[in-house]
Amino acid sequence: MLDLPTRISHWLLELVRSQRAVAHLLIDGRHVLVASGGDLDHYGLSDVELQRPAAEQLPFLEGLLPLPESAFLLRSMEMPGGRVADIHLFAEQDATWVVLLDVTVEHGEAQKTQQKAYDMTLLSQREARLRARLEAAHKELTAAHGELAASREALLITHNRLQRELRDAEQYVRAILPAPIAAPFAVDWLFVPCTELGGDSFGYHWIDAEHFAIYLLDVCGHGVGSALLSVAACNTLRSGGLPGTNFLLPEQVLSSLNQAFQMENHADLYFTIWYGVYHHETGRLRYASAGHPAPILVSGASGTRGDTQTLSAQGPPVGMSPRARYRSEERTLVAPARLFVFSDGVFEIGRPDGTMVAVDEFRDVLSRPAAEAGSELEALLRFARETHGADVLEDDFSILRLTI
Amino acid sequence: MLQKKICMLGAFGVGKTSLVRRYVQSLFSDAYLTTVGVKIDKKTVTVGNETVTLLLWDIAGEDDVSPIRMSYLRGAAGYLLVADGTRAETLDIASSIQSRVKAEIGTVPFLVLLNKADLQESWEIGRDAMHGLEQAGWSVVRTSARTGAGVEEVFEELAKRMVS
Repeated sequence: MLDLPTRISHWLLELVRSQRAVAHLLIDGRHVLVASGGDLDHYGLSDVELQRPAAEQLPFLEGLLPLPESAFLLRSMEMPGGRVADIHLFAEQDATWVVLLDVTVEHGEAQKTQQKAYDMTLLSQREARLRARLEAAHKELTAAHGELAASREALLITHNRLQRELRDAEQYVRAILPAPIAAPFAVDWLFVPCTELGGDSFGYHWIDAEHFAIYLLDVCGHGVGSALLSVAACNTLRSGGLPGTNFLLPEQVLSSLNQAFQMENHADLYFTIWYGVYHHETGRLRYASAGHPAPILVSGASGTRGDTQTLSAQGPPVGMSPRARYRSEERTLVAPARLFVFSDGVFEIGRPDGTMVAVDEFRDVLSRPAAEAGSELEALLRFARETHGADVLEDDFSILRLTI
Repeated sequence: MLQKKICMLGAFGVGKTSLVRRYVQSLFSDAYLTTVGVKIDKKTVTVGNETVTLLLWDIAGEDDVSPIRMSYLRGAAGYLLVADGTRAETLDIASSIQSRVKAEIGTVPFLVLLNKADLQESWEIGRDAMHGLEQAGWSVVRTSARTGAGVEEVFEELAKRMVS
């Protein structure tokens, strides 16, 4: 007990009673409520009944009785009436005293403080999680970026090597093309592949003192495979590498080529070719075609508008069937005249609106007077590019011109 | 009438009050209101042939400076350990609380609730962790106070275990 005068002790008791809304309950050894008093209504407990089991009316007592110790405290219990109480329990012989003191104000203040603290904590935890996720994502992105950069570097090295090899191959393809000749008749050409390596190739050479071979072939597709086949076929013709073949007879040459270059043995590639043998003394031209566009003969001086004739011949592309048969045609060329041998990329030109150049339109272009002999082939290329609407054409542009 | 005291235990903010509110009143609110002290709700259920009044003690959550008052647990017939599936650390806190509860009141039925199952995109507790708890003999259930998923079932299951 405090060592205070009775008057002050009473004052303190009154203070607690007035500020804490003191209420009390007495429970006997049978756990039956036997007495109650104080401000029970303040806690919503005004209807408790004496001589009835306490725990049925006061849920907070469930499982607590009998008290193992003399004093026990349940802090901040929200009561049925909405008030919050500290519940003090005291064991007194067989009975239990329950004293309720109001702490609603303190509870409210504590709740406000705790709410702010928890809100802040939850926010900071959420922020930490987001930051961790962002950092993880950033780390992954950085790693992915590094891998991409390494891959790009490796790809660039490979690309540069392939580009060098393609340039070497392109130089080789160009190197084996024959140089233009000026006598006893003129032969010149223009060769513009649509990629580094196209599928077109051509050649011409004297078979003997009187006969001059001229040929142009177009392997399906573009790129390394097509270029290799076109170079191989051209080298075969140039070197006379077709045993038992009379190179003066175009039909024999194409038949032998067809046997040697069946597509199942050459990566499913086939090619078209026009092969002609020109007899300079008589002007006689013997020629055959394996599915190739027919050359166009323009008669008349180059400075005037000429007459055009197509030199057609029948025969399937080389490589498609071992049973293919070829037949030669003959035509006598009369000077002045120009013979144009070309691949389909020279006249099969798509316009920006999706339409194609007609064959008659191309023949008309060839028949026009050439301002300067040397620029005629360049003018044809310019026509193709202007018609297509771009400098890069869709197909190889290869054309040979024999002028007599 | 039979009465059973059930304590809701877990870290702060895991949804203990929302689970009780969903179970007793079929209500849910997104607003987070912290619990100070303890509040008791009642719900009467039938278990087999027995009518039981569940006294649900919604006890303030544990934080770094305020551990759960073990005095509230006296007389509990069972408890629900609640963790927030979007905050992995709350499962560690639940595990710590379980050890202390066992030391205080001995072995009584309990279930582990991984709450906020509706927030799948933020979920942090993996199958391995759940499997580990189940291996230890714990019953682990995903719940959502928001949608009500699993809520009724866990209270009914705990009631069965307490009465049997």
